[in-house]
Amino acid sequence: MINDFHYLKPASLKEALAMYAEHDDCKVICGGQSLLIVMRQGMVTPEYLLDIKHVKELSYIKFEEKDGLRIGAATTHREIEKSDIIEKKYPVLVAMEEKLASIQTRNWGTIGGNIAHADPAGDPGPVLIALNAEIKFGNSSGETTVPLDEFFVDYFETKMEHGDLALEIHVPTPEPKFGCAYQKFNLLDSDMGIVAAAASVTLNADGTCKAARIVLGNAGPIPLRVTKAEDLLKGKKLDDALFAEAGKIASEDCEPVADIHASEEHRRHVLGVLTKRMLKKAFEQAQKAA
Amino acid sequence: MSHAKYNVINTHVHNIDGVAKVTGRATYTFDVTLPGMLYGKILRSPHPHAKIKNIDATAALALPGVKIVVTGKDTLGIKQGIWRRYEELCDEQVLPLEKVRYIGEPVAAVAAVTEEIAEAALDLIEVDYEVLPAVYEPLEAIKKEAPTIHEGVERNVNVTRHIEWGDVDEAFDEADYIREDWFKCSGQAHMCMETRAAMSNFTPDGKLTCWASTQSAYYTQGLLAGVLGLREGDVRVLAPYVGGGFGGKFELDAAMFCSAVMSMKLFKPVKVVFTREEDFIASKRRTPMFYYVRTGIKKDGTFCARESRMFSNGGAYTGMGATALYLSGFFHSFPYKWRGYRYDGYRVYTNTLPSTSMRGFGAPQAMFCSEQQIDWICADLGLDPFEVRRKNGHTEGYEVPGQAFIASCGLKQCIDEIEKWVKAKGELPANRGIGISSCGFMSGGIFNWFDSPYSFSSAVVTINVDGTVELHVGCQDIGQGSNTTMAIIAAETLGVKMEDIRVHSGDTAHCPADLGAWGSRQTLMAGNAVKMACEDAKKQLLEFAYAEMGINIVYDLDIKDRWVHIVARPERGLPYVDLVKKALRAKDGQRIMGRGYYTPHRKGMISPAYSYMMQAVDAEVDPETGKITIHEVMTAHDCGQPINQLGLIGQLEGAASMALGYAYLEDMPMEDGKLMNPNLVDYKVIKAPQMPEAGIIEIDTYEPEGPYGAKEAGEGLTNPTAAALGNAIYNAMGIQMKELPITPERILKALREKKEQEAQK
Repeated sequence: MINDFHYLKPASLKEALAMYAEHDDCKVICGGQSLLIVMRQGMVTPEYLLDIKHVKELSYIKFEEKDGLRIGAATTHREIEKSDIIEKKYPVLVAMEEKLASIQTRNWGTIGGNIAHADPAGDPGPVLIALNAEIKFGNSSGETTVPLDEFFVDYFETKMEHGDLALEIHVPTPEPKFGCAYQKFNLLDSDMGIVAAAASVTLNADGTCKAARIVLGNAGPIPLRVTKAEDLLKGKKLDDALFAEAGKIASEDCEPVADIHASEEHRRHVLGVLTKRMLKKAFEQAQKAA
Repeated sequence: MSHAKYNVINTHVHNIDGVAKVTGRATYTFDVTLPGMLYGKILRSPHPHAKIKNIDATAALALPGVKIVVTGKDTLGIKQGIWRRYEELCDEQVLPLEKVRYIGEPVAAVAAVTEEIAEAALDLIEVDYEVLPAVYEPLEAIKKEAPTIHEGVERNVNVTRHIEWGDVDEAFDEADYIREDWFKCSGQAHMCMETRAAMSNFTPDGKLTCWASTQSAYYTQGLLAGVLGLREGDVRVLAPYVGGGFGGKFELDAAMFCSAVMSMKLFKPVKVVFTREEDFIASKRRTPMFYYVRTGIKKDGTFCARESRMFSNGGAYTGMGATALYLSGFFHSFPYKWRGYRYDGYRVYTNTLPSTSMRGFGAPQAMFCSEQQIDWICADLGLDPFEVRRKNGHTEGYEVPGQAFIASCGLKQCIDEIEKWVKAKGELPANRGIGISSCGFMSGGIFNWFDSPYSFSSAVVTINVDGTVELHVGCQDIGQGSNTTMAIIAAETLGVKMEDIRVHSGDTAHCPADLGAWGSRQTLMAGNAVKMACEDAKKQLLEFAYAEMGINIVYDLDIKDRWVHIVARPERGLPYVDLVKKALRAKDGQRIMGRGYYTPHRKGMISPAYSYMMQAVDAEVDPETGKITIHEVMTAHDCGQPINQLGLIGQLEGAASMALGYAYLEDMPMEDGKLMNPNLVDYKVIKAPQMPEAGIIEIDTYEPEGPYGAKEAGEGLTNPTAAALGNAIYNAMGIQMKELPITPERILKALREKKEQEAQK
C-alpha cells in the first residue's frame, strides 16, 4: 500500500526547483512508472512528492542540424517514439522506445524520469550513451552538463544530489558514416531486458573504424561501456571476426547478476552475442550512411 | 456445415455482461461497500514449517482503529477440504491451531476501520514460532527420513491413485519397441485478474451474507457453513461478477473464512481482499509433476501398452489435488487406444504453497510428456506422427475400458485438418519447426467428492407478462461467458430473442444449487438443465396455443423468433407475447415457470462426453541465445455443436495464451519454500499485444449427451500446447525438452549436449 504523502505541483521550473530545495524528504515524480512501483512495495516512503511532469518548460523536442537533438526531461517516451524528426535522424531511439514496456507506460513515463531513476535495466541509457549524449541537470543555484556516460554512479544512483532536477538530454548530430543499434534480450517482446547491448560505429572515409561505442544494459550497476572492445575496433577494417572478438570481450568485461530470469553465465553469453550482432548492425548502417 | 436450423445458437452474439464490464459498472466483490464496514488483513507465516507456540495480539489490539484480531483459537478449528466425503483429505485449518506448513499460510487476521490501520496492526502481532525442518520436493519428501508434515501421514504421501486396464505386461511383450523417459513439469499461478476477495456480513438474525470471488457459490456456501457451524441455508453467497478462476477459486480461501469469522464476532461487515503478492504466495497453484513414462509400440505404429508413474508436489494441503492426480493419469492415456494401460500417481505433501486444480486439471502436464514421447518414438522408428496418431486415436463408440464411453469424436478430422495446414506451410527456414499434439478433455466430471445431495446442475425459468424471461441458474460466470451461453440456449429453446432473457446467477438465495464452474462442466450440464427448464416452460405455453389455435393435434407447434406457429405451416400462428398474456389469464395469473436439472448417470467414471483436438505450434529458436519466437498456433477442435461463437473463440485464444505461458514463460521458482517472483514484473504472462496468431478450425460433431450436441471447449485447449511447442523445437533443433518451462538456458544446454553426443559419435 502506498503511504500518504503531500503532493506538490509546481507551475514552473523555477517553482519546482524552489520547492525541491525547501523539502528534505521529497521525491521527484515525472510519470511515476518506476517510482510508483517501489512506493507501492513500501520501499520508498517520501513525505513529499514533487510532480514535474506538467512543467511545460521541460517538455520539448528540438532539433537543429548543427546543434543536434535536445529533449526536455518531462518529454514522454511516446512523444519521442512518435517524433518525425527523431525517426529521421535517430531511428535507433524510436526503435528503442517502441519496445519500451507498453503503450500505457510510454504515454505516462518520461525520458528524464527514466534516466534519473538510473535502473541499469532501463532501455534509454545504453542507447543514449552509444549516441554520445549528455545530460543537463540543475538546482535553484545553477545548472551542470555532463556526458551521460559519466552521469550514472551506481544502482539507482546518479551524479544528481538532493535539489537537482534532470532538465535536458542533448544528443549531438551524428557524424557522417555513423550507425547505431540496440537490442535487449527478453522472452516477451517489450518486456524488461534481461540484458541488453547498444553499439555505435563511425567509419572513416577509407572504411576503417573511426570510433565505436559499446554499452551494455543490465550488465552491472550502471550502463556499462566496454572500452577494451571499443579500442580493439578503432582504426581497423571491421569484419565478423572482430565483432565476435568484441563480443567475447563484452561477455568477459561485464558484471551481470544472476536472478530467476537467467544465470550469470547465460547473461554473459547473451551479452557477447548481442554485442557482436549490434556492432555488425551498426557497422552495416554506417556503411550505408551518408 | 451450415447451422441455419438455429436462430441464436452459434451466431454472432456478444457477451451479455460485456457493456457492464467495459464501462466499469460490473460490481465485483472488491467493489462491494456497506455502511460500517471494516477492512481485514491477514498475517502470514514467514516459515515453511513451524509450530505456533504463542500469538500475542495485545499491541495490535491497542492500535486505535483496530476492532479485532482472530487466530485459530477463535475458530471452531475444523479441518476442512473440498473432498468432503473423505475425512482424511480434509486437512486444512484456514487459521491453523498447531503449526504452519508453508510460507504465506495464514496465522491471524485483523479487522480495522481502514486498510492502512489493519496493515499496520499486522506488524504488531507477535508470533512465537518453533521452526521445524522443512522439505520442498516430492522426491525428497517421500523419503523415510523426511520431516513429517501431517501427523500420521507416512512418508508424506497424501493420496495415491492407481488406474489400470488390459493385461499391461502381456501388451508390453507384444511391443517391438519400448521407450522410457522422465519429465519434470512445473507449477503455474492461476493469475486471475481479480485476486481472492470476500466481503462477509453476519447479522443479528444469525444469518451470514458473503460476497465472494468464487467459481461456485454453492461450494462456498457449503464450505463456509461447515467451518462456521451454520446451516447451509443460513449462509448466502453472492458472486455476481468474478474476475477469473482457472481452477483456483472453488475451495474455501482465507479471504472468505477470515472475513466471515471476524464478521460473526463483530456483527459488522468485513472485507478482505488479497494483494497480488498474497494471491501468488498463498492461493494455490498448478501441480508440479514428475512423470516417468514407458511406452511399448509395434513396428507398424500400433500402440501396445503404457505404464507411467507420477509424483506430484502437493504442497501443504490436499485442495483439489486428489482430483488432479486422477485426471492427470486418465488423460495421460488420451486420446489413444491402449491394449494395456497402468498409471500410479503419488501426491506428496511438501512445505510449499499447496497445489490444486488449474485449467486442464493435470492433463497439460500429462500431455507434455505423452505427446512429446510419441513424436520421439515416431522419429526412433521412422514413423509418421500424423499417421500414428490417426491409427491409434479414439473413435466414436470406443470404450476406455472401465472408465469412459466415447459417444462423439472428431479426432480423425482434427488430425486431417492440421496435417493439411502443416503441409501447406511447406519448407521452413533453418531453426524453425512446427510441432503437433493431440488430446481430449472432459465435459464436466462425474465426481461428487463434495457429497452434494442436489442435482449437479439446475435451472428455473419464469416468463413475465411481456414475454421477457427470468432465467435462474446456479452455474457460475467467472468471465468465461456462461451466462451468455445459458441465455443463448434459453433463447433458442424458448424461441425468443437474446434481449428477452435476463440471467440471474451467482446468488445462493435466489438461484438453484449447481456445482459451479470447474472441469468444463457448465455448457453440458447447466446447459442441459437450462434446455430442460425452457422446454418445460415452452410446453406449458404450447398447451395453451393448441387450445387457442384450435388445430388438429397431429400438427406440431413451435416458437421461433417470438412467433408461435405450426411447424409444417410456419405462416399460421400468433405472436409469442400474445400467447404469454393469454396463458397467464388461463392459469389464474400464475406465471409460466419451467424447471430443469441434470445429473450424469451411467456415463462411466469421468465425464459424460469428451472433446477432441489437435494443435500445431510454429516456433523458431535463436540458436545463439536460446530465445523462442512463436510464429503461429493453429488448432483443430471438436467441441460438438458450438453454442456461443464469440465466447468459444475467446476461450480458445485465452487457452492458447495460458498454455504458451506454461510452456515457455511461467514458472514459480522457490528458494527454501519462498516464492521468488510473487509479482507481475517477475512472473511472466503473455499480454494481449504479445499474443501470436491463434487460429481455430472447428470440427463438426454432435454429442448426444450435450445440449444441442455441445460439449467442452476452452479448458482442454490448455493441454496440447506445451507438447506442441516441445515438438516444434524438436523438429527445428533436434533436441528433446523434458522440463518445463522450456527456457533459453535449457535449450542452450540441450544444444550443447547434442553437440557433445554428436562429437562422441
